[in-house]
Amino acid sequence: MFDILPYFFRRALRNMAQSPFLCIAAVATVTVSLTIVAFFVIIVFNVEKITARWSQEVQVVAYLDQVPAPAVLDQRVRDIRKIEGVAEVEVVSREQAFERFRGRLGQHAELLEGVDPQILPASLEISLKPDYRNRQGVENLVAALKARGDLGDLRYGHDWLVRFEAFLGLLRLMGLVLGGFLLFATLFIVSNTIRLTLFVRRDELEIMALVGATPLFIKTPFIIEGALQGLCGGLLSLSGVYLVYRLFLREGLGTLLFTAGGSEVLFLPPAYLVGLIGLGLFLGVFGSLGALRKFVRI
Amino acid sequence: MIQLHNVSKAYQKDSSALDQISLKIEKGEFVYLTGASGAGKSTLLKLLYGGERPNRGQILLDGRNITRMGPRQLPLVRRRLGIVFQDFKLISTRTVFENVAFALEVQGRKRFEISKKVYAALKNVGLEHKLNRRPLELSGGEQQRVAVARALVVDPIVLLADEPTGNLDPETTLELMDLFKSANARGSTVVMATHDRELIRRFPRRVITLDAGRVVEDRHV
Repeated sequence: MFDILPYFFRRALRNMAQSPFLCIAAVATVTVSLTIVAFFVIIVFNVEKITARWSQEVQVVAYLDQVPAPAVLDQRVRDIRKIEGVAEVEVVSREQAFERFRGRLGQHAELLEGVDPQILPASLEISLKPDYRNRQGVENLVAALKARGDLGDLRYGHDWLVRFEAFLGLLRLMGLVLGGFLLFATLFIVSNTIRLTLFVRRDELEIMALVGATPLFIKTPFIIEGALQGLCGGLLSLSGVYLVYRLFLREGLGTLLFTAGGSEVLFLPPAYLVGLIGLGLFLGVFGSLGALRKFVRI
Repeated sequence: MIQLHNVSKAYQKDSSALDQISLKIEKGEFVYLTGASGAGKSTLLKLLYGGERPNRGQILLDGRNITRMGPRQLPLVRRRLGIVFQDFKLISTRTVFENVAFALEVQGRKRFEISKKVYAALKNVGLEHKLNRRPLELSGGEQQRVAVARALVVDPIVLLADEPTGNLDPETTLELMDLFKSANARGSTVVMATHDRELIRRFPRRVITLDAGRVVEDRHV
């Protein structure tokens, strides 16, 4: 037996070299399809970043009617930190609250001239761990704090949370529907392009079967060919997306996101890049397999 | 070598391509399948190489029932057959050498062995000097000789030919028949579908005549 795998690779490469137009068409289809997917992922990724930043605002403020002795206050803070989902507890004294208020008034700060710095209540600002920054997490925390009975008024922006959750839900649904549709459309287009390339070679497939080639022998080089085309498409789409990101997306989308509270548009992290190339590979292999099932009949 | 027991094949419900065919072909025989167009010659050959499956009946090839074979076993049987078609069935993007080598590559033969055998097969059909040409650069007769070289390179136990001379001029037909005769002399059983009565008259052998999917005559001429 000669080395079968190098033989399959040689045949796959020779197939590609012998039908350069079909090969380019398949690679171009994968490239364009994956580029569209990658743009979509960049947008979703950046919007997710913004919502994650927004969610940092989710916190519960417990106002203290009377400021207890430092030892008692420290004990309260330690107790609250032990509650599930609590990330940090910050004590804001009356003076600190007054200074923050002054800072927010900016150029109108003189309005506070003569006002007693002790007028605002002290508070505990309780922030949540990322997984608990939702309505359920906040409501559980508020219930736990109320059960203690030693805290005054509790504020946590209930209406804002409801709207934020609804917005996140809509965003995720849109991402799921659009992403799923894009992925399906991509698989469909790539599979059909590869089917076209196999249709052109259907005589070759028939002859292979006639001279006694096993289904595996017939299919493997075409699957390798599909994988190589998918890989090339993945790498090309990556380069294309990066180029467009550098030239247009960073500026254009940046302006839009900046107004929504974002900073700069981020490119895809390494795991996503590997995923994109993997997706190209997947499309090539499964596109070929789907098409081969139709044409290879022993 | 080949046995058919009550073999029937219908592509559509109400018309039968082959109807209860039973016949036996011994090892080393040279048999013509003849009859008018649509008589069932090509269907019978397709059944013999597993290109179609019968609706009824059994086909034994070298003692093995090919009607029950799955997609993994059938290729192993085909490797022991040589098949020649009227339209040559060559891969136009491959060279003459590659087309012939293909039949050995699928068997996983070593490269130097493939080169040696392919050269010998092409020399046998007189095309060793055109091994780097592509099929479309050759004449019809030359293409058919390449197809014969591909069929013979595996030293087939059975050589199946479906109207192999249909597209050839008389002179090339004679050359091709010489190749089939010498393959037969080396031990291959030859089954050749043809409606060329002149060919049968010139090279008399056993003739099985089909009509409307039935064997109407089986004689030695």
